[in-house]
Amino acid sequence: MAKGIIIIVEQRDLQIRKVSLELLSQGRKLADETGEPLVAVVLGHGIEGLAQTVAASGADKVILIDDEKLANYTTGSYTSVLNKLIRKEEPQAVLIGNTAVGKDLAPRLAQRLGVGLASDCTEMEADEKNFLSFKRPIYAGKAFAHLSSNVRPILATIRPNTFKAEEPDASRQAEIVKETADIDTADLRAIIKEVAIAASERPDLTEANIIISGGRGMKGPENYGILEELADVVGAAVGASRAAVDSGWREPKFQVGQTGKTVAPTLYIACGISGAIQHLAGMGSSKFIVAINKDPEANIFTVADYGIVGDLFDVVPLLTEEFKKLV
Amino acid sequence: MDAATREVYWNIEGEHWLYLLFIIALVIFSYGVYKRVVLWKLGQPENRWKDVGSGIKDVITYGIFHKRILKDPYPGLMHFGLFIGFIFLAFATAVITLQADFAMQIFHGWLYLFIKFSSNLFGLIAVFAILVAAYRRYIQRPDRLNDNKPDDAITLALLFTILVTGFVIQGVRIAAIGDPWAAWAFVGQWMAIPLKAMFNQAQLLALHVFLWWFHLVLAMTFIAYFSHSKLFHILLGLANQFLRKRGPIGIPEPIDFEDEDLETFGKSQLREFSWKALFNTDACIRCGRCQDNCPAYLSGKHLNPKKIIQDMKVLMEETGTAVAGLKKVTNVPQVEGQEPAESGESEEWTGRALIGEVIPEQDIWACTTCRSCEQQCPIFVEHVDKTIDMRRNLVLMETRFPSEAQLAFKNMENNGNPWGIGWSTRADFLTNLGVKTFEQDPEAEYLYWPGCSGSFDARNQKVSAALVKLLQAAGVHFAILGNEEKCCGDSARKLGNEYLYFSLATENIEVMKGHGVKKIITQCPHCYNLLKNEYPQLGGDFEVIHHTVFLLDLVKSGKLKLNKTAGKSITYHDSCYLGRYNEIYEQPRELLKAVGLEIKEMAHTGEKSFCCGAGGGRMWLEEDEGQRINEMRTDEAIAVETDYVGTACPFCLTMIVDGIASREVGEQLKALDIAEILEKAI
Amino acid sequence: MNIIVYIKQTFDTEAKIVLDGSGKIDANGVNLIINPYDEYAIEEGIRLKEKLGGDVTVLAMGGASAQTAIRTALAMGADKAVLVSDPALDNTDEWTKAEILAKAVSQIPYDIILTGRIAIDDGASQIAVRLAEILGVPSISSALKLDITDTQATVTREIDGGTELIEVSLPVVVTAQKGLNDPRYPSVAGIMKAKKKPLKTLTLADLEFSAGDIAPKMNVDKFTLPTARVAGRKIPGEAAEAAQELARLLREEAKVL
Repeated sequence: MAKGIIIIVEQRDLQIRKVSLELLSQGRKLADETGEPLVAVVLGHGIEGLAQTVAASGADKVILIDDEKLANYTTGSYTSVLNKLIRKEEPQAVLIGNTAVGKDLAPRLAQRLGVGLASDCTEMEADEKNFLSFKRPIYAGKAFAHLSSNVRPILATIRPNTFKAEEPDASRQAEIVKETADIDTADLRAIIKEVAIAASERPDLTEANIIISGGRGMKGPENYGILEELADVVGAAVGASRAAVDSGWREPKFQVGQTGKTVAPTLYIACGISGAIQHLAGMGSSKFIVAINKDPEANIFTVADYGIVGDLFDVVPLLTEEFKKLV
Repeated sequence: MDAATREVYWNIEGEHWLYLLFIIALVIFSYGVYKRVVLWKLGQPENRWKDVGSGIKDVITYGIFHKRILKDPYPGLMHFGLFIGFIFLAFATAVITLQADFAMQIFHGWLYLFIKFSSNLFGLIAVFAILVAAYRRYIQRPDRLNDNKPDDAITLALLFTILVTGFVIQGVRIAAIGDPWAAWAFVGQWMAIPLKAMFNQAQLLALHVFLWWFHLVLAMTFIAYFSHSKLFHILLGLANQFLRKRGPIGIPEPIDFEDEDLETFGKSQLREFSWKALFNTDACIRCGRCQDNCPAYLSGKHLNPKKIIQDMKVLMEETGTAVAGLKKVTNVPQVEGQEPAESGESEEWTGRALIGEVIPEQDIWACTTCRSCEQQCPIFVEHVDKTIDMRRNLVLMETRFPSEAQLAFKNMENNGNPWGIGWSTRADFLTNLGVKTFEQDPEAEYLYWPGCSGSFDARNQKVSAALVKLLQAAGVHFAILGNEEKCCGDSARKLGNEYLYFSLATENIEVMKGHGVKKIITQCPHCYNLLKNEYPQLGGDFEVIHHTVFLLDLVKSGKLKLNKTAGKSITYHDSCYLGRYNEIYEQPRELLKAVGLEIKEMAHTGEKSFCCGAGGGRMWLEEDEGQRINEMRTDEAIAVETDYVGTACPFCLTMIVDGIASREVGEQLKALDIAEILEKAI
Repeated sequence: MNIIVYIKQTFDTEAKIVLDGSGKIDANGVNLIINPYDEYAIEEGIRLKEKLGGDVTVLAMGGASAQTAIRTALAMGADKAVLVSDPALDNTDEWTKAEILAKAVSQIPYDIILTGRIAIDDGASQIAVRLAEILGVPSISSALKLDITDTQATVTREIDGGTELIEVSLPVVVTAQKGLNDPRYPSVAGIMKAKKKPLKTLTLADLEFSAGDIAPKMNVDKFTLPTARVAGRKIPGEAAEAAQELARLLREEAKVL
C-alpha cells in the first residue's frame, strides 16, 4: 500500500536549495490535508547538519544518505540510490524541484521506476480520485495541461517560486534515519572533470526569468547602475535596446531585439525604451511587460501590461526599494 | 570662294609611306579589339541586340548629346568640348581622305572654309578642354578620380600633342607660304606671326616636314593605341548605350527551381556572368560618377561601385590569361597511335576567387540597391545586378550571409513577415478600423496592400490608418487580403534568397488571382515595385498604383478636398524605389503643394536622392562600417531647416524617424508620410 | 560515426493557442516548425559527421506533417530519416513515447544520440533522458559545447549558475542547449538533394507494439487556457506612488514576484 509523500531535497555545497524548502512547506500542507506522512530525502556527503533544517521545515521523517560518491550530483549515482530507496519506501508521490538537477534526475528516475512524470508544474492539489493533480504550462504558458496518474508512485517536478517557503519551526522534531548508498557501479560512467560557477549571480539573458532593460532614455553607460541594482534585488538579468548598444553603452551580447537576442522572460521591465517593432520582435513573448518612459506616446505602452509615465531616474530607484520589501 | 582650298600634301614627299603606317596602326588596332573580344567571350551568351531603333536613339541622346554626362556641368562641358573638337577634326580628316585617296574633289569652297574655321574653333576648345582635364585630374584631384593610371596621362599627352602639333603645322605653313583665307584659320594665322619672326623660310619648310610626319606618327599611334587604352571608350561607351537594358530597372533574372538540371544558383565565378557583364567592365571609363553618388561609399563603407567594376575587369584579364595558357599547354602535337591529349579548358578556376578575394563579402552586403550608381552612369554600366547575383550564390549555395538575414528569412518563411510576428494577427490593426477583407467584401474594386510595415509596425500603422481615412473619405471601394497577405518578398529577393521570394510571390499571386484582384493600391514603394514590375515574371499581372499617385488622382478629380494651411515648410525625401526605380517624383510634391506647404529641397534630390539606407534588404542587417546612412540623410534634412520631412515609404519613414531621434531634433523636425499630411488637411 | 538526431515538429512560437470542440489543442491552420532546440542538435550532428565521417539519421515521431521537418533536417545535411507515424501516438505520454522511440532507435546503429534539451510545445524535457535509461546509456543534458572522439565525449553543460565539464564514454545521449552552435540555413542545393534522401515510415505495428503496451502512465485530464490578458494600463501618480503600486500589482496580480 503506497503511503507517504517524499520530497527530494536538493543541496549544493551543503546549502539547501530554496525550491526544496518551498516543497517542504507545501508538502507539509498536503500531508496535513491528506493524512499522509511527509518524508524528506537528502543525498550528499557530510550532510548530517542539514537534518534539523529539513525537520524544521515540516518533514515528519528525514532520510539521510551520506556517501562520498554522492558529494556532488551525478545522474547515475543519484538515480541508482533513489530508485532503490523509493521502491523500498513505496510512497504515494515523490516531488522534486525543477532545477537543473531536477530536470536531469526526474525523467531518469521515472523511467527506471516505470512511472509517468508531471514536469515543471505550477500548481498542485490534493485530488479525490488520484491523490494529487497537477497543472503545468505548455506552449510557453499560452495553455495549461492538467495531469494526474493512477500509477504509483506519482512523480512530479515543481517550478521554483511556485510555492512559498514558510518560516521554519526550530522546535519541530522529525525521525532521522540514515541509509547506506546502494550504487550500481554500472551507473557511474560520467566523470565530472570540472565545475565552474559563474562569478556573477546574474542569469543569462536568454534564460532569465526577469529582465530589466534600458534604452535610449538611459542617456549614458554610467546610468545602468540603477538598473543593475534593481536587477540584483530580484535576481534579474540586465538587457539593452539597440540604441544603447549602438551608442556603445552596453555590450552587443546584452542587446534584446530583432538583431539581438530573443527573450521570453516572465517579467520584462523596459526603461527608457520606445518600443520600436524591432525591439518588440525580441521580447514580445514576455509574459508580463512593464514600461517606464517619459513619453506617454511611446509605442512600448501599447504592449505593456503595466506602464508608468515618468522619469526612469526617479522611478527605478524607488522601485528597487519596493522590490526589496517584497523579496 | 569656290577656289578656296589648299594643296593637301604641300611640301611633303613620300606621302605613300602614310599608308604603310596606317596599315600597321590598323593591324595593331585590330589586334587590340580581338584581345578584348576574346575576353568578353569568356562570359555566357546573352541577347542584347534586339531593339535596334531604341539603341540608335540612345546613342544619339546619351552619346552625341551627352545627356547624362552634362548633368555634372564642370566635367560634362569639359568632355563635350573635347568630344566636339574630336568630331569636327574627324570630319575634317574624313573629307581630306575622300579628296586625297578617293579623288572626290570636295575639299574646296565653302566646305573648305567651314572645315578651316570649325577645326580651328573646336580644335582650340578641345585643347582647352584637355588642359582643364589635366588640371582637374592632377591638380584638383577630386575623389572620384582616385585611381589614376599611366594610361590617363599618356592619352591626355597624346591628344594634346596631336592637337597642338596640328595647329603648329598650320601656323608654319601659313608663315611659310601665306594663305589667302588665313583669317578662317585664326589660330594658325595668329601662330604664324611669331613663327615667321623666329624662323627663316628654309627652317620653316624643314620644320613643317618634321612636324607633319611627327603629327602623322602620333595620329597613327592614336589609332593603334585606341583599342589598347581608355580611348576604346569612344566605341565601347556608345556600344554600351546601344546595348543597355530598357524597361523597368532592376528586375533580376528569375531562377527556375523546377529545373532539375540546374546545379548552381547565383554566380560565384566570373565566367558565369554574361558577355555583356564583362563588356561593362571594359566600357567603364572610371569616371567615378557612380562612386560619387553611392550612399555606401559616401558613408565610409569599403564598397565602391567603380572599384567593383574595375576589379572585375582585372579578374577578367587574369581569367583570359589563364585560359589562354591552358590552351597553349594543350596544343601539343599528336603522336601517331597515342590518345589525343585532353584539350579544352579545365572547369576548375584556380585563380583569385571573385567572391572574397576580388570583391570582399562585406562589399556584397553593403549595397542598398538604390541604383544611384546606375542612374548616374553615362554609359549604363549595370552594377547592382552583379551584386544580387553574388548574393544569390552566397545565400542559395554557400549559405554564408549575415546572421540577421537568417532570422529575417526564417521569419518570412514561418510567419510571412521579416519580424516574425504571428501571421494570424496581420489583419488585426486594419480590421479593427473596420476595413473589410476580400473574403468579406469580394466586390471591392481595389485591393489595398498595406504590406508588412503597414500591418505590423506601430509607426507605419498610423500611415495605414491615415490612408484608410482618405480612401473612405473619397468613397473608394477597397478591401484587404487580411491574414492571407504575405510579405511581397522584396527583402528576400534583394538579399539573394530567390527561393524564398519565389515561394512568397507565387503564394501571393495565387491568393490575389483567387479573389479576382485587378487593381492594387499600396503605400510601400518596395511592394509597389515588386508587385508592378517583378510579379509579372511569375504570372502576376495587376494594375498597381502607389498611394501618392492614387491620392493625387483623387484630389485632381475632386473626390478628395483638401484644406490649405499656410506657414509651414517641408522637405520631401525621394525614395529610391519610387523615384529612380519608377520615376515618380512629381506626384508627391504636387500633393504637398496642394495642402499649401512650402517645399524646400535637400542637397540630394530627385534622381540624385540619397538613399535612407534600408533598401536591398539592409533594413534587416546591422550597419557597422562607417557612418550611418540614415543619419547622413537626416543631417541633410536638418540642414534645409523645414518643419517637416515628407516620405512616401515605410522604410524611409522608419530610418528618418530613427535619424531624427539619434540627432535629438525631434522638437524641430517631424517626419510624416504624405498620407498623414493629407489626412490632417481633409 | 553513427549519429542519430531525434527531432520534434512543434507549433511556431507565434501560434495562437485555442481549444477545439473536444477540448484539445487546435492544430488547424497552425504553422509548424522544427523545435528550435532540435535545430542545434541537427547542426551538431552534421558537424560531427563533417569532422569524423559517418552518417546522420534523423528520427521523428508524428503525423504526415512531420515530413516537412524531416526534409529540412535532410536539407541541412542529414543523410537519412525514420518517421514513426501512427494515430495511436496521440494518446501517449512521455513514458510511452520513450519506449516507442527506444524500439525505433535500437534498429539503427548509433554511437551518439542528439536532441534538443526541451521542446517548446510541451516544455517537459523528459524524452531524451528516458530514452537513455531504456537503452542503458548515460545522458548529458543542456550541452553548450561538445567534443567527440571515436570513443569518448567531453561535454560542457549548463547547470544552475554555471557550467560543468563532463567526460563520458560513447555511446551517449546528449541534449542541446541554446548556444551550442549556430544552425545553418539549408542551401537550395541541399533542399533539392533532400527530396531524394531515404525516409522510412514505421507504424507501431512495425515496431511490434500493441495497444496495451502503450497506455500512458501520466494522464492529461484536460487543457485550459489562461485568463485573458488584461489590457495594459498606465499606473497613475507620482514616482513613489506609482512604484509602490507597480510592485504590489506585480506581486498580487501578475504573481511574478
